Amino acid sequence: MIVMNPMEKFKAKITLFHCINAFTEHVSLSTDDREVKIVKMPCSGMTTEVFMLKAFEAGADAVAILVCPEGACRYMEGNMRARKRVEKTSNVLDKIGVGGKRLSIHNLAAKNSDSVPGLLDEIMSTIKELGKNPAAAA
Amino acid sequence: MIVGEQKPIEEIKKMVAPYKKLLILGCGTCVKTCFAGGEDETAALASALRMAFRTEGVSIEIDEQTVERQCENEFIQEAAKKIGENDAVLSLACGAGVQAMARRFPKEPVYPGLNTTFIGVQESHGVFTEECSGCGNCELGNFGGICPVTRCSKKLLNGPCGGSQKGICEVDANTECAWQLIIDRLKTLGQLNNLRTYIPPKNWKTSNSGGPRKLVREDHII
Repeated sequence: MIVMNPMEKFKAKITLFHCINAFTEHVSLSTDDREVKIVKMPCSGMTTEVFMLKAFEAGADAVAILVCPEGACRYMEGNMRARKRVEKTSNVLDKIGVGGKRLSIHNLAAKNSDSVPGLLDEIMSTIKELGKNPAAAA
Repeated sequence: MIVGEQKPIEEIKKMVAPYKKLLILGCGTCVKTCFAGGEDETAALASALRMAFRTEGVSIEIDEQTVERQCENEFIQEAAKKIGENDAVLSLACGAGVQAMARRFPKEPVYPGLNTTFIGVQESHGVFTEECSGCGNCELGNFGGICPVTRCSKKLLNGPCGGSQKGICEVDANTECAWQLIIDRLKTLGQLNNLRTYIPPKNWKTSNSGGPRKLVREDHII
């Protein structure tokens, strides 16, 4: 068993999947202590389990899905499907020792992109608590 | 279609742990439709397993492929190269697919990644219901196309039993009374008189209770 030291200093990797209707990339989200990889989706409902798992496998320390507000999905239920998938994938991550808390989903008020840096700060706190992704490819 | 669900990852890990190179083989027909063993599920399971072993410091190579159907030799053949390159196969097909693989590749260990549950339909998105028991002697014509052998909890051929409450089975509150459905359907079809015909006890010899079955089509054998 590989024991990660949560206090170990590293540049956190965060993968952000977002619905194109929920978020506009108008500022750089990467900072000195975090590298943010952004994946645009036509609808958050397209963010299936395999995409989230592959992001972790590729080295993400956390994955976040940004979705439209409840009831405001252009495709009716994409954000609801995304939430269900996050719940399922989170369980899988717990079972395989990666930690389901590393995966989160956030409803963004109509294109309120300004709130995203704040969300990333919250995600950084979780990463600091959990340490590096123990399943990241070497 | 044949409906199945993926085994718990802990059980899968235990089965494949002795191997260094594993092929996860998906099946692109029935179990794809029920979100258990298609291309997406194969990729997701492969990714999850790789990470599960990595967190434990265990080195294992996991490859993946999905064929159209694992129950037919023509399609299985497409996976022959990858099967030869790996130590074992984790099949995400139904029980028939797993056995077809074992028969086609007698020297390769093949493990089931799914539990095969039943022959059914997708009632609504994500909801699958059992509709056919494969009893070998279909009498759906008598019952308006609704099978009491499979869908009546008591398997009554001369129902209803009297325990039905507002169209719901007394055995399970989540199950519609098959006999209520049969009567409603026969009324719609104007075939309610079907119920006047006594159906004799079923001969289960044609079902799996009569032992393993085989179908031989002489017209297709040379």
